[in-house]
Amino acid sequence: MRMLRFLVAVAFLVLSAGSTSAQLKVDPKLPEYKKIDSVQGRIKSIGSDTMNNLMTLWAEGFAKYYDPKNVQAEIEGKGSTTAPPALIAGTANFGPMSRAMKNKEIDDFKEKFGYGPTALTTSIDMLAIYVHKDNPIKGLTLAQVDAIFSKTRKSGHKEVKTWGDLGLTGEWADKPINIYGRNAASGTYGFIKEHVLKNGDFKAEVKEQPGSSSVVQGVASDKYAIGYSGIGYRTADVKAVPLGLTEKELVEAEPENAYSGDYPLARPLFVYVNYKPNSEIDPLRREFIKYIFSKQGQEDVIKAGYLPVGEPIARKALAAVGIK
Amino acid sequence: MVALVMIVGLLGLIFYQGGATFWPGPLVEITTHDGRTFLGEVTRSEDYRLDADTLNKLPPAIAANARALLAAHEGQMRRRLLRTGNFDLTGSEYQWVSDYEVVRETEPLWAVTVERTDWGNCYGVVQGFLVTNELRVKDPARAEVETNDPGTAWNRFQQVHEGVRDKLANEHYFVRLQTRGGSKGDKVYDLPVEEVVLAYPANQLSFGGRFKVYLTRWVEFLTDKPRMANTEGGVLPAIWGTVAMTLLLSLLVVPFGVLAALYLREYARPGPIVSAVRIAINNLAGVPSIVFGVFGLGFFCYLLGGSVDQVFFRDRLPSPTFGTGGLLWASMTLALLTLPVVIVSTEEALAAVPSSMREGSYACGASKWQTIWRIVLPRALPGIMTGMILAMARGAGEVAPLMLVGVLKHAPELPIDGVFPFVHLQRSFMHLGFHIFDVGFQSRNSEAARPMVYTTTFLLIVIIALLNLMAVWLRSRLRRRFQVSHF
Repeated sequence: MRMLRFLVAVAFLVLSAGSTSAQLKVDPKLPEYKKIDSVQGRIKSIGSDTMNNLMTLWAEGFAKYYDPKNVQAEIEGKGSTTAPPALIAGTANFGPMSRAMKNKEIDDFKEKFGYGPTALTTSIDMLAIYVHKDNPIKGLTLAQVDAIFSKTRKSGHKEVKTWGDLGLTGEWADKPINIYGRNAASGTYGFIKEHVLKNGDFKAEVKEQPGSSSVVQGVASDKYAIGYSGIGYRTADVKAVPLGLTEKELVEAEPENAYSGDYPLARPLFVYVNYKPNSEIDPLRREFIKYIFSKQGQEDVIKAGYLPVGEPIARKALAAVGIK
Repeated sequence: MVALVMIVGLLGLIFYQGGATFWPGPLVEITTHDGRTFLGEVTRSEDYRLDADTLNKLPPAIAANARALLAAHEGQMRRRLLRTGNFDLTGSEYQWVSDYEVVRETEPLWAVTVERTDWGNCYGVVQGFLVTNELRVKDPARAEVETNDPGTAWNRFQQVHEGVRDKLANEHYFVRLQTRGGSKGDKVYDLPVEEVVLAYPANQLSFGGRFKVYLTRWVEFLTDKPRMANTEGGVLPAIWGTVAMTLLLSLLVVPFGVLAALYLREYARPGPIVSAVRIAINNLAGVPSIVFGVFGLGFFCYLLGGSVDQVFFRDRLPSPTFGTGGLLWASMTLALLTLPVVIVSTEEALAAVPSSMREGSYACGASKWQTIWRIVLPRALPGIMTGMILAMARGAGEVAPLMLVGVLKHAPELPIDGVFPFVHLQRSFMHLGFHIFDVGFQSRNSEAARPMVYTTTFLLIVIIALLNLMAVWLRSRLRRRFQVSHF
């Protein structure tokens, strides 16, 4: 969380004038991507399901600049947990992850190569708590969310079983809450477990879904449902609940709140690469990373429904893999 | 009977939903009582219960209207889901509008639906046509406005659209559109003609015009690569991957299956070992397909593929060539999965060849192999083909094991193409079955993805049916050829 605060502090907030008509724009200081000659090879990405669409958009965008004979891309996304083994085995040259690597994973990597993996902060995601569009709930505190999803309830909130327990009245009062979540290979699952459940355990009733989008579809078709998923998957059928630490400071899941650091469930999305410090990175990976941190690449981030990073973070990421 | 109803119902649903996806609907412009305006295509509607709180907070005139609507509709309120597009301008693509909110509803004459290469669909009302020497209209004052008349602008668009994407011109064309953003405000948007894949004035089309758009979209779907993380564009790589894998699978499974059956039926002496092998084969048919996937990943990809890499592609290590999922391993995994079907049906076919024919052949002095090759196999061929058809049908519809051994979300290169050595057995590929899973459960915009799921399912069923029909046709030809030699 502290790292995120730092990131957010340096993140460049670019929003068009008038905060209600806020449509995300990329930082104009980012460089335009320009093609160079002699790039050849295969982009192979294995990792996060949350970033599956994002990686695909980047690969599609990158491919526009090069001859398909020379540059190919294969994107596989079954969960963040699959990224570290793929990087270690060398089966992938990019490992997108929606959470930071755990110490164990970093140690395994170090054991094989003698140096740690390099994390590039490519974009920011907001995890949203979704309810059905007809749900009248005004907002939830993190302790309430913990009590909805967790059986251990480490935040100390009383047990929550029905919508009435969250203060809803009328027809909602005695309706049980149907809970949707992600499977354990997912970085989103890990993030919620760590930051909301304080490493407690999920309830057994959570309907574990294979993808971020299935959670939203589940909530959309179930009037009394609640679920967590990335903000990029929001549809017109669901509502993202404002969240807060206390009931007085509920914050909408809007970009400006993520950038300002007020939204409690914002997280960076990483791409991990195997980069030997102070070496020269190969042209294919160099160009793809340059594309990610260009104007076009960050526009793809908006297309995927996430928040772009600003020029300071981009410069730092490029420096981390020795690109000037 | 129940099975028949279920099959017909399911196919009907898929054909109806999948077939309707590309039919262009009219565009409606709706202004709500709080001053928001939306322009878009109605995708579906539903009835819901309007709660009293919301009703009481409405302005009196609107509330009265809402009550009248409720009374007329048995207490239910209708709401419609508008596809408003313009994701780059508003940050959302869909909007629910309840009937009571509507104060004005029109179908603007010059409203156009635009499919773009980027950012998904765009909806707007044509206002004019611009030319500049920049890629974007940054400063409208510097752009040359050719016309402000929608009709003329549309004609100009149609003139320049053809071929504009191939041309490197220093003139860039734009269609000026009035877009509606709801609460995000209305904007004038200059649409670059280069980015247009397909555009049509939805409210002016005749039935023939609609049909033409419908066909154009089908052609695009069948012949294009996917765009926007698989939610738009076509599915050509997935079609190609499915067909290539199924054909390779049948090439692999038939020889092995037939040889195994021949040995079991004609050569092996009946005894406990042969019975054990038969039991094993029958059990193989009952193993869940995902287990085959895990086996394929461990044995084919890692062990076999890893060794191939060690020997032939040492210079490319550590990045694997054959040591990861690919077309060859996927086909071999599915060949294993479908092997029992082929063995069992071939054995049945061999058993059905009358022993009098075999004996006649032996009596004429033919050896055992000559008898099998000339007399038994030709007569058993239709049965063997039946096994192959069943194997193909099973293999083409299988998805779970493929996810482990080479099918990916995004691998636009075709496994068979014009680049030497033409057949790329090591390449990962896309598959229609996995595409359905991916588009349905993984895509960002699940609302827009839903019709694509139906269409892709429709396509997968059609392709499997076609492959099967091909095999059935081949079988009937063969059967006719050998029936001639009957008495």
